[in-house]
Amino acid sequence: MIQADLNIILPEIVLSVYAMLALVGAVYTSKDGLAPVLTWVTAALMFVLGIWIATGSSGTETAFNGMFINDGFARFSKVTILFSAAAILIMSQEYMSRRGLLRFEYPVLVALAAVGMMMMVSSGDLIALYMGLELQSLALYVVAALRRDSVKSTEAGLKYFVLGALSSGLLLYGASLVYGFAGTTAFAGIIQTAHHGELSLGLLFGLVFLISGLAFKVSAVPFHMWTPDVYEGSPTPVTAFFATAPKMAAMALFARVMHDAFGNAVADWQQVIALLALLSMFLGAFAAIGQRDIKRLMAYSSIAHMGYALMGLAAGTVLGVQALLVYMAIYVTMNVGTFAFILMMEKDGQPVTDITALNMYSKREPGKALALLILMFSLAGVPPMLGFFGKLYVLRAAYEAGLAWLAVAGVIASVIGAFYYLRIVYYMYFGEEGDALDENSSPVLWGFLMASAAVMVLGVINMFGIEGAAAAAAVTLVN
Amino acid sequence: MSLFLIAALPFLGAILPALLIRAGRNASSSAAGAVSLLAFIGLLLNAPAVLRGEVVTAKLTWLPGIGLNANFMLDGLGLLFAGLILGIGLLIILYARFYLSREDPMGQFYTYLLLFQGAMVGIVLSDNILLLLIFWELTSLSSFLLIGYWKHLPEGRQGARMALAVTGSGGLAMIAGMLILGNIVGSYDLSVILQNKALIQSSPYYVPALILILIGCFTKSAQFPFHFWLPHAMAAPTPVSAYLHSATMVKAGLFLMARMWPVLAGTEIWFYIVATTGLVTMLLGAIIANFKDDLKGLLAFSTVSHLGLITMLLGIGTPIAAMAAIFHIINHATFKAALFMSAGIVDHETHTRDIKRLGGLRHLMPITFTIATIASLSMAGIPPFNGFLSKEMMLEETTHTLWANSHYLLPVIAVLAAVFSAGYSFRYIAHVFLGPKRSDYPATPHDPGPGLWLSPAFLVVLVVLIGLFPNAIVGPLVESATAAVVNDAHPPHFHAKLWHGFTPALYMSMAAIAGGLLVLYAHARLERGWLAARRPEAKQIFDSLMGAATRTSRVITDTLHDGALTRYAAIFVLFSLSLAGYAYFSGTTVTPARGTTDASALPILAWVCLVGATLCVVFFHRNRLLSLVVMGIIGLIVSLSFNYLSAPDLALTQISVEVVTIILLLLALNFMPQETPVESTTGRRFRDAVLAIGGGVGVAGLAYAIMTSNSVFPTISEFHLANSYKGGGGTNVVNVILVDFRGFDTFGEIIVLGIAAIIIYAITEAILSSRVRARLLNRKPTFPQAGDAHPLMMVVATRVMMPIALMVAAYIFFRGHNMPGGGFVAGLIAAIAVIMQYMASGFGWATERQRLPYHGIIGSGVLIAAMTGMGAWFNGMPFLTSAFGYIHLEPLEEFEWATAALFDLGVFLAVVGAVMLALESLARYAWQPGIASEHPMDINPERDDALDELQES
Repeated sequence: MIQADLNIILPEIVLSVYAMLALVGAVYTSKDGLAPVLTWVTAALMFVLGIWIATGSSGTETAFNGMFINDGFARFSKVTILFSAAAILIMSQEYMSRRGLLRFEYPVLVALAAVGMMMMVSSGDLIALYMGLELQSLALYVVAALRRDSVKSTEAGLKYFVLGALSSGLLLYGASLVYGFAGTTAFAGIIQTAHHGELSLGLLFGLVFLISGLAFKVSAVPFHMWTPDVYEGSPTPVTAFFATAPKMAAMALFARVMHDAFGNAVADWQQVIALLALLSMFLGAFAAIGQRDIKRLMAYSSIAHMGYALMGLAAGTVLGVQALLVYMAIYVTMNVGTFAFILMMEKDGQPVTDITALNMYSKREPGKALALLILMFSLAGVPPMLGFFGKLYVLRAAYEAGLAWLAVAGVIASVIGAFYYLRIVYYMYFGEEGDALDENSSPVLWGFLMASAAVMVLGVINMFGIEGAAAAAAVTLVN
Repeated sequence: MSLFLIAALPFLGAILPALLIRAGRNASSSAAGAVSLLAFIGLLLNAPAVLRGEVVTAKLTWLPGIGLNANFMLDGLGLLFAGLILGIGLLIILYARFYLSREDPMGQFYTYLLLFQGAMVGIVLSDNILLLLIFWELTSLSSFLLIGYWKHLPEGRQGARMALAVTGSGGLAMIAGMLILGNIVGSYDLSVILQNKALIQSSPYYVPALILILIGCFTKSAQFPFHFWLPHAMAAPTPVSAYLHSATMVKAGLFLMARMWPVLAGTEIWFYIVATTGLVTMLLGAIIANFKDDLKGLLAFSTVSHLGLITMLLGIGTPIAAMAAIFHIINHATFKAALFMSAGIVDHETHTRDIKRLGGLRHLMPITFTIATIASLSMAGIPPFNGFLSKEMMLEETTHTLWANSHYLLPVIAVLAAVFSAGYSFRYIAHVFLGPKRSDYPATPHDPGPGLWLSPAFLVVLVVLIGLFPNAIVGPLVESATAAVVNDAHPPHFHAKLWHGFTPALYMSMAAIAGGLLVLYAHARLERGWLAARRPEAKQIFDSLMGAATRTSRVITDTLHDGALTRYAAIFVLFSLSLAGYAYFSGTTVTPARGTTDASALPILAWVCLVGATLCVVFFHRNRLLSLVVMGIIGLIVSLSFNYLSAPDLALTQISVEVVTIILLLLALNFMPQETPVESTTGRRFRDAVLAIGGGVGVAGLAYAIMTSNSVFPTISEFHLANSYKGGGGTNVVNVILVDFRGFDTFGEIIVLGIAAIIIYAITEAILSSRVRARLLNRKPTFPQAGDAHPLMMVVATRVMMPIALMVAAYIFFRGHNMPGGGFVAGLIAAIAVIMQYMASGFGWATERQRLPYHGIIGSGVLIAAMTGMGAWFNGMPFLTSAFGYIHLEPLEEFEWATAALFDLGVFLAVVGAVMLALESLARYAWQPGIASEHPMDINPERDDALDELQES
């Protein structure tokens, strides 16, 4: 019995045991001297785990009396999480080493956060959910404040922590209300009680507080306040990490809770999530216009993108979940590439985040400029880049679920949002001559940038098959 | 040739010029030309079938999940446009070969050009609207690259950006329209959509879909009020302007309107939006063109005007008007491309495009003069050129159309536009080529080689031939294209001729030409008036709109994200409250199933104290010491209420925890300033108060609802009550839960507690080894400190109490299993007993006598608990299974033993160690070896000076 359960969570066990061993091992050996190696090993392990999960068992298995679910949906999310986390780790190594930021705790914390995320997307129970979520969040709080000697970084970490604690409190409060009125913490049990139209007030309160807590994790407006500060304050590799794997995990968890536990009461949460999506899209699009700091800009961009992903969730249909997964996978890929570029932005060895520094970049580095151009167009959702297909998916899902107003609003927001992506392109191609950025030729970062841009273009052929995988995954979630 | 291949050829071939540029400029341009030619031949091979009325298709499933298919079709309309794109493309490739200078990266140019060409061909061949959208945006993208080709010109940059912003955004808006359209019909294939006119026009989403699609078309085709980007895009190299901004890209919007004509046209809203927009654009463009001194600027506005003309014809919505539109598309493409190229030649040879600096070129550049004159006259609508024919058809059509029941509005405005149109056409001839020869040209003008003039000459020949033999040359094509536009196999017969007799249209044409001459004659005077008049400059409006957007955005971000955590939290709480409100109003209300208990005096008194103390915390929280004291009161009342509600165990724990935490906090105060400065304004405090009260009331209401409703499921208490003694050997259920039922939890908790203490130790250690310590030590106390650091009374009392307190701890520990108490509480009490010594007698005194390291105590506690748990393994039971039994030793009474007690001992030790370690860490900062605590008692009998005093007295 326990043997079977442990078998199902074997990838998680492997990663946690590895993280603990790495932590203890590094403490008793050369500490930070070991960090570069540790970073690569962690990334490699995550990559291997990702392959393992992707090619491993198919079908739906549950462990620990349904607390842990390993289904297609979970596997899709886990693979995305692990791959993106591995990519970010590899990208971080050189950047952080050079600035003396690479402590051995960093890869370990990322690994622990990844364990938490894997737990989140597989959770079949409010308790498992909370455990995964907190494991992830605690690791992230620390990572956000990694640069301890920087006031900005620590302030960001502190804000994130305080607000995160508040949201955790709300989430727990909601969970306890749900437990109180459903009589169980298992999603499979809650869905029996929670039928649309018969939802007791307590359950409804529980639901909205759960949504508030989860909305914080996906940084949906108006629970997004921490995002710009944390993105700006954290070291750039950490920002890159924040923008990718945790977003995927939180979004998947969101979908998991809504469909697995409240799948019979779609109408009760649809409006709330649609509102969150609407606010996120517009605020993300509008607020980014005034930004000059590319990291803050990416923060607002991620807020807007979360709005689109939430649009897929708000649809409440199989197509909606499929759209969400496709959207997130594309989003994560785009962000890996974009941050690979941001990591390369430096002048005199110092990181630069002002977008005016990109003036006439195309003249000096046409290859990289073209890659960033593709990524920016893709982020803006301009056809034929892959980003457009993601948007198309969610728009269709929303439209077909009867949320035509949301789809139209989404398009309007994307028109507004296109402005600031295009401005970056404009600076690169038509800006005025100014101080040049250093010619940074990190092969790793260059490789990620180019690969990501290539994916955005080549993906239009068949989206690398994620369409079918996402469809299969969505079916396992919505039933 | 397969349609796939035709659409793919330019894309596949785009790589060639970039590669072959190393082999020379001729190789590069030949490659580009060959690719275009091949595609053009492929198209021509399909032409006979299309002209017979067939529709050539090629289908391929691509991403069926979102309805995206790579379906292509070729009908008359597609053939017309594809022919224009590829044919003029060929001419442009030839022209550009000689136009671009040696320094320009030509390979790059042709690559962009072919990409653009491929995208355009894709648009006109698509049979799937999503596919069409993709190509649509691809044209915006590649045109962006082409417009910005000359990066060194600042106008080029501005123009490229504006063009991309306007057309790109329009394209995005069109996505929404296309999505709606596709959903109404249930398919994204054009061939299906075009058969569903009734379904689409009766849909409630018809109007939004129409408007969104039209935004896309109008932005692309530079219709009012989006017309401003086109003239600014003229900074591009002339081949680009000729290709993109006269013949192809700007016609994409027209193409789409024509393509969608069968299902979108024919309604009032279509007529009023499309025809009116076209009319306004036509007039406005024509007027402005007269006052542009830049050759290309003049042509740009004339293009805007002609695009408006075609839009208006499409908007009228009759088949004849559609046919006129199609005809004018062909004519405009021929004469306007020729004009652009001639303007390019003038620019190339004279090095200026400023009309004010030109004139008298007719003898210097006779070939160019001929070409430009024929094309201009065609543009002005002079017979026998093709422009006359289609303009005549347009004027004819306006006389049959009512605008808001007015017979005259449309014809009058159309004639007015034609007047100005003739005006700028004449001006192009008169002010550039006629007039006296000048001596101040920036460069000596002469006719270029044939490479440059061949392309426009070819077009001008077409202009003349079409004008003379319209039916023979373009008749079948126009009919076939019209058939596709009106979606009717038998469109009106195309019958154009130069002489119709004296029709209203002829009078209107004559009026226009006469007016045009008048405008030319009065140009100087009109221009003065124009320059004096205040007029909205679209570019400035665009820029100020962008500026306003940026400022609004800044305001939003600055107010929302001002960096203040309090604001973030306030918004957070506010939104959660409103969500709760939403839940409250959308859910079913619960009727209380249980009554409330009667309120007696004691609870009310406690409640008053609790509320009073809470309010005190709120009001006095800036004084940290005071608020700690008040918090102590709150803790006390909470403990009492646990006791009152029959939970003595909790009460006991709570009160011990209270004492320890308050002491911890007191010590932590040492690290902080005494008072919190006032930072928030009254308004903000008021906001916070409202939010806090809202939150409090909400939570209280929820708690009330829960407590008065019946539980939906049996509580777990019953199970514990029934099994506590049987399974765990204890009657104190709480303790049994802690050490037995949920022993694993407890085990985890003591570990966490230990870790927390060690972290406090590590942090204070780090702080105290830095400069912070010195600063803390040098801080001037706000209040004068008591002279008596270690009061005698307290020292004596605590020393006496120490063994008693420890005894109590032991007592509480042992009774725990059956009565309120247990290892946790006992640990806290023991810790308090020790803390009292630290407080009364001083840090140094206590450390000297307490020699066990607290780290070790924590560790031993955890180890004992772990080993107890593991002991179960030897019995073949799972971890932490407890066992108990009874021992009877004379003369003692029988007593119980339980492994749980051993586990509890682990808890006890961990708690003592953790609390003490935390306290010691926090308290250590002020202690330096040898000071302060040397004399823990004021009166020390051994003290020298005390002895002296005794001796003296």
